[in-house]
Amino acid sequence: MTTSDTGNDRNQCSTREDEREKLRDFVAYTLTSARGLYREPLSYGPMRMVDALEKALALIASCGLSDPTMDATLGIIRENRWRAGTDPVGFAKALDDATVQLVRITVADEENS
Amino acid sequence: MDVLEAIRSRRSTRSFEPRGLEPEIINAIETAITSSPSGSNAQESHFVIVQDPAQIRRIKRFAPGLSGDPAAVVVLCSNRRDALERGGADTAEVLRFVNMGIAAAYVLLTTFSFGLGNCPVRSFHRGAIKEIVGLPGDIEPELLITMGYPAEPPRLKTSMPMTEVISHDHFGHR
Ligand SMILES: Cc1cc2nc3c(=O)[nH]c(=O)nc-3n(C[C@H](O)[C@H](O)[C@H](O)COP(=O)(O)O)c2cc1C
Repeated sequence: MTTSDTGNDRNQCSTREDEREKLRDFVAYTLTSARGLYREPLSYGPMRMVDALEKALALIASCGLSDPTMDATLGIIRENRWRAGTDPVGFAKALDDATVQLVRITVADEENS
Repeated sequence: MDVLEAIRSRRSTRSFEPRGLEPEIINAIETAITSSPSGSNAQESHFVIVQDPAQIRRIKRFAPGLSGDPAAVVVLCSNRRDALERGGADTAEVLRFVNMGIAAAYVLLTTFSFGLGNCPVRSFHRGAIKEIVGLPGDIEPELLITMGYPAEPPRLKTSMPMTEVISHDHFGHR
C-alpha cells in the first residue's frame, strides 16, 4: 500500500488545483465504494469505511489540520486492513483496539480540560 | 522463469515503485493475450493497456479495489456480441468469462516473470471505467490488472487445504 493510496500522505497541498484533485479523488472513491457494496462481499464494508476515513483525514491534514494521537490510533487499523477479507475476526479485533484507544484519548481530553 | 515457480511465488502486489514499464514488457503482455486459448478459438475479449498517468488516475478514482500507483493497468473487457457470433450461446453466457480468466492468468504470470508485481481488481464502477477508456456498446470492462515494479515484499498467502479443493478420481477422495 502506498502513501497516496492509504491517504497517509500528509504533505500539504501545494496549490488550489492540487486540493481540488484530492477532493475529487476522495469524492469519487467514497461514491464508488458505496455503489460497489451492493454486490461486494460483506467484509468489504468495514474496509471501505476505514479507507474512506483515512482518505478524509489525509484530505483534512493536507488543508492544515492533523492530530498525531489519532494517527497512532489509525495505525492499528492500517496494519490490519488486509485481514478484512481473509480474517474478519482479526480485523474486527483491530477495530475494537483502535476504538478503545480512541476512548482513552477522549477520556484523557476530558480529564485535562 | 519456470512457470510452476511463477505460479508458486506470485502474490498480489498493492504498492508499486514510480517506474514505467519497458516496451518489451508491453510486447510480452500482448503476446500473452494473443496466445491465450479460448473456446472455439473465439478470441472475443478485448484488452485495453493503459499507461498514461492521467488515465490511470481517472481509473483509480472509480476503482476502490485498486491499491497503489501502478505503472500500467490492463482493462479486460468482455464482448457479448462477438462471443455469440463466434462461439454461440455457451460462449456468450459462460465461456467468455472462462476465456477471460485464462487470459488474465497468462497476463499475471507473464508480467510476474519479468519481475513485476500485479493484482487483479474487480472492485470498480463498470460504467465509469467504460466511459473513461471509451468502450463501445457491447464491450464491458470485467476485470482490471494492475502492474508495476513492487515497492514492498508481498504478504503471505492464505490457501485452502488441498484436501478441501482437490479430489482424486471421485469427489471427496483424497
Ligand atoms: C477475480 C478477482 C478479483 C479481485 N479483485 C480484487 C480487488 O478488487 N482488489 C484487490 O485488492 N484484490 C483483488 N483480487 C486479489 C485477491 O484478493 C487475491 O488474488 C487473493 O487474495 C489471493 O492472493 P494472491 O493473489 O496474493 O495469491 C482479486 C482477485 C481475483 C482473482
